[in-house]
Amino acid sequence: MAQNSQVLPGKEATLFRHLVQNYETKQYKKGLKAAEQILRKHPNHGDTQAMKALILSNLGKSDEAFELCKLALKNAMKSHVCWHVYGLLYRQQKNYEEAIKAYRFALRLDPDSQQIQRDLALLQVQMRDYAGYVQSRRQMLQAKPGFRQNWTALAIGLHLSGDLAGAEDVLQKYEESMKHTPSRSDMEHAEAVLYKNSIIAEAGDVQRALEHLDGIYKTALDRTAVMEMKADYLLRLDRRAEAEKMYTKLLKRNPEHRAHYAGLEKALDLDRSTKEDQEKLGQAYHSWAEQSDRIDAARRIPLDFKEGDAFRQHADKYLRRMIKKGIPSTFANLKQLYSDSAKKETIRELVEGYLEEEPQANGGAEQSKPDGQTNGSTKAQIKPPKLDPVTTWQLGVNYFLAQHYDYHLSRDLTKAEKYIEKTISINPAKSDYTYHLTRARILKHRGSISEASQAMNEAREMDLKDRYINTKCAKYQLRNDQNTDAVNTMGLFTRKEAVGGPLGDLLDMQCVWYITEDGESYLRQGKLSLALKRFKAVYDIFETWQEDQFDFHTFSLRKGMVRAYIDMVRWEDRLQEHPFFTRAALSAIRIYLLLHDNPELAKGGGSANGESAEGAAERKKAAKKAKREAEKAEAEKKAKAAAKSQPSKGGEEAETKKEDQDPQGLEAFKLAAEKPLDEAMKYLQPLLELSPKNADAQVAGFEVYIRRKKYLPALRCLLATRALAPEHPKLKEQDDRLKSALDNVSEPLPDKVKQVIDETYLSKLGSKTSAGEGRSDT
Amino acid sequence: MDIRVLHPSDIPHVQQTNITNLPENYFCKYYLYHALSWPQLSYVAVDVSRPKKTPYDAPKIVGYVLAKMEEDPADGVQHGHITSLSVMRTHRRLGLAEKLMRQSQRAMFETYGAVYVSLHVRVSNVAARSLYEDTLGFKNNGTEEKYYADGEDAFSMRKELDYLREEALDEESDEEGGTIGQDEGGEVGSAGKAGDGVDAAKKDKKRKVKVGRGLGVGDLVERNESTATNGIS
Repeated sequence: MAQNSQVLPGKEATLFRHLVQNYETKQYKKGLKAAEQILRKHPNHGDTQAMKALILSNLGKSDEAFELCKLALKNAMKSHVCWHVYGLLYRQQKNYEEAIKAYRFALRLDPDSQQIQRDLALLQVQMRDYAGYVQSRRQMLQAKPGFRQNWTALAIGLHLSGDLAGAEDVLQKYEESMKHTPSRSDMEHAEAVLYKNSIIAEAGDVQRALEHLDGIYKTALDRTAVMEMKADYLLRLDRRAEAEKMYTKLLKRNPEHRAHYAGLEKALDLDRSTKEDQEKLGQAYHSWAEQSDRIDAARRIPLDFKEGDAFRQHADKYLRRMIKKGIPSTFANLKQLYSDSAKKETIRELVEGYLEEEPQANGGAEQSKPDGQTNGSTKAQIKPPKLDPVTTWQLGVNYFLAQHYDYHLSRDLTKAEKYIEKTISINPAKSDYTYHLTRARILKHRGSISEASQAMNEAREMDLKDRYINTKCAKYQLRNDQNTDAVNTMGLFTRKEAVGGPLGDLLDMQCVWYITEDGESYLRQGKLSLALKRFKAVYDIFETWQEDQFDFHTFSLRKGMVRAYIDMVRWEDRLQEHPFFTRAALSAIRIYLLLHDNPELAKGGGSANGESAEGAAERKKAAKKAKREAEKAEAEKKAKAAAKSQPSKGGEEAETKKEDQDPQGLEAFKLAAEKPLDEAMKYLQPLLELSPKNADAQVAGFEVYIRRKKYLPALRCLLATRALAPEHPKLKEQDDRLKSALDNVSEPLPDKVKQVIDETYLSKLGSKTSAGEGRSDT
Repeated sequence: MDIRVLHPSDIPHVQQTNITNLPENYFCKYYLYHALSWPQLSYVAVDVSRPKKTPYDAPKIVGYVLAKMEEDPADGVQHGHITSLSVMRTHRRLGLAEKLMRQSQRAMFETYGAVYVSLHVRVSNVAARSLYEDTLGFKNNGTEEKYYADGEDAFSMRKELDYLREEALDEESDEEGGTIGQDEGGEVGSAGKAGDGVDAAKKDKKRKVKVGRGLGVGDLVERNESTATNGIS
């Protein structure tokens, strides 16, 4: 298909083949040499230019690559190679829409190319263009029907696009075409069959799903999955006796899985809200608890439904058992019950009563077992010295009460302090920081942020090899705005060789909590550029997580673990619903709003309060230090790379992590200040789309839209907030501002908008207010 | 506490639990690699008693075991490997680590016909060693020098999984006839299938654990132009 001027003579044609090979084996330098050799004689050879562009882009020179590829296309408009490369370049920039266009063009020029077809299909599924994906996979299946993967992939496309019957049909057709019975250990087959079963069930045909499952039940390799599926189907078909048997079997395998108990309760047709059933349930749980002393769930669950005296008795037994065993998470395991104030009171009475007594010898608590703790700590303290029963008891009771009075639903910090001091005075283990940690938390709740940070640092010093307490300490330091201390604390456990020091490692390792807390601290301090930089980093981590799925579109087909893959795709679809995202996004939006309301902030480097000279000096010092560290790490890395004598295959592409050119986020902040509301939308859209029931997201939405004079969306947010959280403190104010804004629109709203606003809002305000009456806070 | 199999959607909190507790950390993709290669083997302990703050609260993970099958095992024997295990300090002494491990081990045996499970533990980590040796019945198989990035040695431990055969037989006797279990010696799992990726995994194995991260997850995926830009290595 190449034009005549585009046909290379023999020698160069061979060179070109080498060039392609060089690219595929990542021998980029050789590849470039070959390309230049060809281009010296045939300076306008498009395919060569395209291949050179592809290599350049893999070497990080993406601007140059794009220029060259455009030139290549000019020279060889009808070359599929050029269009394919053009698509690959766009894909590298994550501009998937343009990439798909280019691939399509390439495919039109070379309809039989498997490689282009596959690249196109990958992007289609990544972009959730299921119609396109199904079409591509159909063609790939037609080209190579001998591969099971191609059938499975088509089924996946149909399944995800909602065509469950079509998906099942494709899987069925492949099974029918199999000439041999697959071996029992054929994982791909076992999984494909289970996948088919899950599709039948998803389509709602539970009866048929159960029948099909019975046929594969015995040979299925994923035992837990088939048992759970069977139990679920039986329950849904109301075959309760059989369901009960299945759930009992499942509980024998895993007596700590709550869903099994829930299934069993349903199978027994017992209703937690009636008194009789409560008793029956209580007996059932009792008998399951009797199976083993190590089971917690069967002992804990009855506390959820028991009431009154029955609750008191059970709680008494449960608490005594846990406290005797010296289990420090007893409170954590019970605090959910505190939303019921009667239960909360009962628990308090019981435990306060324990203060007066010595532990009884009977009661079923066995010797402490090894505690199953494997965290980084290394000293024997994790397994505390065997305590005598009296000490264990007193420790447990006082510790429970300290936590009880620290908890927000039962808070009395003076009492909490009293009990934690008592606990600490009893605690014989010098390196067991558990109680000191709680002491710090109580201080934090007192509002003594600085003392809390100090107390947590003392706890940390009790066990320097334990990362958990180290982490907590850094968190408290951030709460106290000791950002430098915090990063140094974290640095005690980050990789020494990480580029960019401890923070670089935390960014690499996607340590979202730290980055968010650091940002929130800077926001409190009015260091807006740094704060925004952190929230942007969280945003970027979510982008990376989104991108992470790309390789699995191929990988999972090879591995054959289709159900897990579907799980992942569905998770990725809702990725930004995660509270980690919401939290960072809300803060980022706050900063953009500040920037919009006060553009002057951009000049001050984002320092809302005007940075003190001291602060500036410290900042410079920190920046210098970070730079020094980065350089050092970089040098070490280079030295290491040089020391590696054998040139590895991937050696040439060795991506060196770029040094952060804008460690204070000043440049980015200036850019953000140009269009703060547009930037805010990037964070807002996922919130409103994926977390619409989050009132704070709606409140933030209002703030952005009202500033953009988008009154209808602003109204939608306002109404949503009102429905979700009628008591939200911002509601009244936003209400007034919207009224006032509507009364003062500079140009009349389009009729339709006006109509909707009248119908859903203004007409319901009681008496129509006129301009000036509403309080304006803007 | 709820003990259940790990789902991809658990990964952010598993990752957080890991980096809160342990010095060996991995990025999301490495967890995904486990969850999508051996979805039956990794388990989480979820704190179900946390009051929900929003309808979008993700399950709070207080412990996890991240596990895999050894691809292309050097000794030719199918076996599982524990990549990472940790439980929050606040949820100690509930036996969570042991419960997580037991679920994972059974899945290794049932799904992949694993003969044994192996793991590495810091020689100084007395508590973990006690869990593995005393509670779970692992045997110390010797020392691997300077296994960890900070230069510390590791004990290489393993546990035979034949006890599960009996458990399976017990369970089976509940069923009406028929057999559960593996045909031994046969090719199990993805071993030997489409050789791609397997070598890369093996080559990478040691280094990955050593530096404590998922180096080379990208390598597990076919080398082609579409992976050249995945931004991970």
